[in-house]
Amino acid sequence: MKRLRVFASRLLGLFRKRRLDENLDAELRAHLQLLTDENIRRGMSPAEARHAAQREFGGVEQTKEACRDQRGVLLIDSLIQDLRFALRILSKSPAFTTVAILTLALGIGATTAVFSVVDRILFRSLPYSHDERLVAFGLTAPIEKEEFMLGASYIDFRKSPGPFEEVTSMMPGDAKCDITEESPVRLWCAHVEYTFLSTLAVQPVLGRNFTPEEDRPNGPRVAVISFALWKSRFGGDPGVLRKTISLDGKATRVVGVLPANFEMPTLTPTDMLVPEALDEEQQRRSAPGAVLRTFGRMKPGASVAEAIVGLQPFLEQSLQGAPAEFRKEIHLSVSTIRDRQVRDARLASWILLGSVFAVLLVACTNVASLQLARATGRQRELAVRAALGASRGRLVRQALVESTLLSLLGGAAGCWVAHLLLRLFVSIAPQGIPRLQQASVDLRVVGFTLAISMVSAMVFGLASALSNPSPGSLIGKEVRTTMRTVLRQTLVAAQIAVSLVLLACAGLLLRSLWNLQRAPTGMDTEKVVTATISLADYRYTGLPQQIAFFSQLQARLKALPGVTALAISDTLPPAGQMRSTILAAVEAEGHAPMAQGTGGSVAWRAVTPGYFSSLAIPILRGRSFDEQDSLPSENPIILSETLARELFGNEDPVGRRLRLFRQPAPWRIIVGVARDVRNNGMVASSDPEFYLPWKNDPVESLSTGQVILRTRMDPSVVAAWMRSESSALDPTLPIKSETMTERVGKLAERPRFNAMLLTLFACMGVALVAIGIYGVVAFLVAQQTREIGVRMALGASPRSVLRMVLWNVTRWAIAGAALGLLGAWFCTRLLQSLLFEVRVHDPMLLVFALVLLLGVTVLAAWIPARRAMRVDPMIALRYE
Amino acid sequence: MTPQRGEVLQGTLDLIVLKTLDAMGPLHGYGIAQRIQQVSEDLLKLNQGTLYPALLRLEQRGWISSKWGVSDNNRKAKYYSLTRSGRKQLTSEAANWERMAAVIARLLAAEGV
Repeated sequence: MKRLRVFASRLLGLFRKRRLDENLDAELRAHLQLLTDENIRRGMSPAEARHAAQREFGGVEQTKEACRDQRGVLLIDSLIQDLRFALRILSKSPAFTTVAILTLALGIGATTAVFSVVDRILFRSLPYSHDERLVAFGLTAPIEKEEFMLGASYIDFRKSPGPFEEVTSMMPGDAKCDITEESPVRLWCAHVEYTFLSTLAVQPVLGRNFTPEEDRPNGPRVAVISFALWKSRFGGDPGVLRKTISLDGKATRVVGVLPANFEMPTLTPTDMLVPEALDEEQQRRSAPGAVLRTFGRMKPGASVAEAIVGLQPFLEQSLQGAPAEFRKEIHLSVSTIRDRQVRDARLASWILLGSVFAVLLVACTNVASLQLARATGRQRELAVRAALGASRGRLVRQALVESTLLSLLGGAAGCWVAHLLLRLFVSIAPQGIPRLQQASVDLRVVGFTLAISMVSAMVFGLASALSNPSPGSLIGKEVRTTMRTVLRQTLVAAQIAVSLVLLACAGLLLRSLWNLQRAPTGMDTEKVVTATISLADYRYTGLPQQIAFFSQLQARLKALPGVTALAISDTLPPAGQMRSTILAAVEAEGHAPMAQGTGGSVAWRAVTPGYFSSLAIPILRGRSFDEQDSLPSENPIILSETLARELFGNEDPVGRRLRLFRQPAPWRIIVGVARDVRNNGMVASSDPEFYLPWKNDPVESLSTGQVILRTRMDPSVVAAWMRSESSALDPTLPIKSETMTERVGKLAERPRFNAMLLTLFACMGVALVAIGIYGVVAFLVAQQTREIGVRMALGASPRSVLRMVLWNVTRWAIAGAALGLLGAWFCTRLLQSLLFEVRVHDPMLLVFALVLLLGVTVLAAWIPARRAMRVDPMIALRYE
Repeated sequence: MTPQRGEVLQGTLDLIVLKTLDAMGPLHGYGIAQRIQQVSEDLLKLNQGTLYPALLRLEQRGWISSKWGVSDNNRKAKYYSLTRSGRKQLTSEAANWERMAAVIARLLAAEGV
């Protein structure tokens, strides 16, 4: 406390310097005056009295100095001096300062921008307290890769959840729901257990959570609404808690409002939580029961391994009820909420962060080598300062203050660069990068920027700070320490190594992207327009209405000019969101059903007869669907090539029959075999597939349809027509139309994003290397002018001088490149899972990167080196 | 033989100043210096200038406070006075000093035997 007070008064002393000085002067003057008065009273003459007083008092200036020391914070005082000096030095060489600040701004800016994106993915805590203890747990299976539990076993498990403090569950999938009163609107409702919010440790900002009574089958209908919905639909009125809304036609009471920062652990957009109302009796009767997403909060100190052990009996229980072939392929899994959310974004995040740090490293070494080169020129100044009594520590501090100032300026500019880059990222980023929209340059990110600025200042500042001024430079003698030359060359080598690794990685991703975009999809996507139409349940209450809408739409679209084929299906390739079953559930007549395993998943779609001609998927055998097939009495099926081969080998499947979904009937007749189409996105391997006619099947709801239209016209014009035809039928209908080419293009968005960023960073790295080498060689040439002059006077040709200078740099560049090759060999392996049909170690690519980088190096060195050729020996020798 | 004038022991100047202010009430720097010399009967060699950093230090610690005033012979001067925490400090410092002095006296006595 006391120390704080002293410090505060000292700190204040810094700012009120002049007034305090005057005060002290007055006080000391008064003292001397009083002493003099006294001496006069004793009988001295005034002059004698003054002298005696001064003698008695001692040194006035020393006293003042001692008081000033006592008053001020010495360190800060001299720091301000250093700072002022650094500013003067930096403004004296504007070219160096500009290049250094720009370099740092690029490096720090890029790092900050990437950090602000990946921080949300990798580091920043989730909006739940103790989120490290929150996990998704349960089973995973080949067709269900996210953790789930089956109803009956979950009901048993939640009674004594072992290592979990609390567990909860929700229904999987997107649950659409509609507010069906005035101004109806489609919303996303999550069906959750009443323990959901308490497990996540989330408190409603208004009202309350569900009660267990409300979470029963046929219980009172209640809802907890999202903050956004509360604001947008209810104007943030607290009276909403007394409101009853009509949800899917049923009166539902609003009991609570979620916090503004609430998000589902699954990250699905959610407007409302409604009770899951799990029917225990029914789940037991229909064991194993429904698929539930299960989450839990582990007890403090409990480990994932313990959780797995606790779950083991329930795995057994689930498997008893499950089909036999599932058993082998089902595993227990417990993953933290963060892992579940970012799964495939994690690796890409780390790679981007790593590469941007590499750019920062190159930027720092750049500034370091520039500073080193400058330090050589400043030797004399430093020697003078040392001779005048500056301590070694003071000189080091001066150098560090200078570099800190530089990097803070660079950091400030970097914040601005980061802001721009972030806007760029968001605009080119694909869907599905978790939390990208929230990324911004906020306080935490600025703090990070500040930290990396300081660290980089240390990194490049120390290099020059450690150069010891030698007395020789006082008399103008040039002292070239080998140590410094080696350091500078090492920096060049390091830069080149890092840039080579960056280039190699970027090259791999670009190559993979190239392959991805040229990968055949199995269909012709040119001149095809698609539209996704989703009918709201409250307007199209049953199948007849849905069918009526789609057939009207079909009739209208057929009449459009230039339409060559038209079809409706439930889902569209090549994105992998189709319906699927398992191979074991497909039973061909005359073949024994599969005894073991699931056989993997099999995709299927419901399509109208025009499907194959619209997408130009060739029918290899038999025929396509026709209008007859849509009749309820007909049960035709078309198989993909792969599925036909898996089921029938080399036999001709057309005319054979098979049963689906383990149902005893109907037997379906295979009418045709279609060529394989990519159906799991562009990267993952495709599943075998079959097609059923889109028809009046009472089991299926037809609320969502994909309209596919092949045209001779410009697809974007046709897309606009489609929208207007659809809104002529129902103006409230949301319709998303895009060309098939756009749709396929979107699948490569994520790899494109990664490749673009990495390429951007690699280019930055190469540009920085070029700047760095240019600067270093320019300084070297300026420094060696005398040596070059001597050589030329002794008969060296300009060409050989050029060769000498270039060789000097290239030697180290080659050493760096060798190191870089080694690094690239290891680093590219990390990219493995991001690559598509590219070998990790692609020698051609490495050679290309190497040639590019060395080319840039030689070019950057050649421009300043030419100056060495033009050195006039006479002038150079007279230089001193 | 004139008695040797002793240097002010490191750290004792604070105590001396505090005690002086306690005994005399508010005083200016000159007054404090005079008083110290008077009491010590010129046995202490005090460079009056060294008083000021000490005064500043005591003020920074909050043991004394200062105020501009007018001296007896109409000179403007800065008057220092003891604060409440200064008085507390004086009590504990004085006690410390006495204990220390007693220890040293005892040591010296033992040595002398």
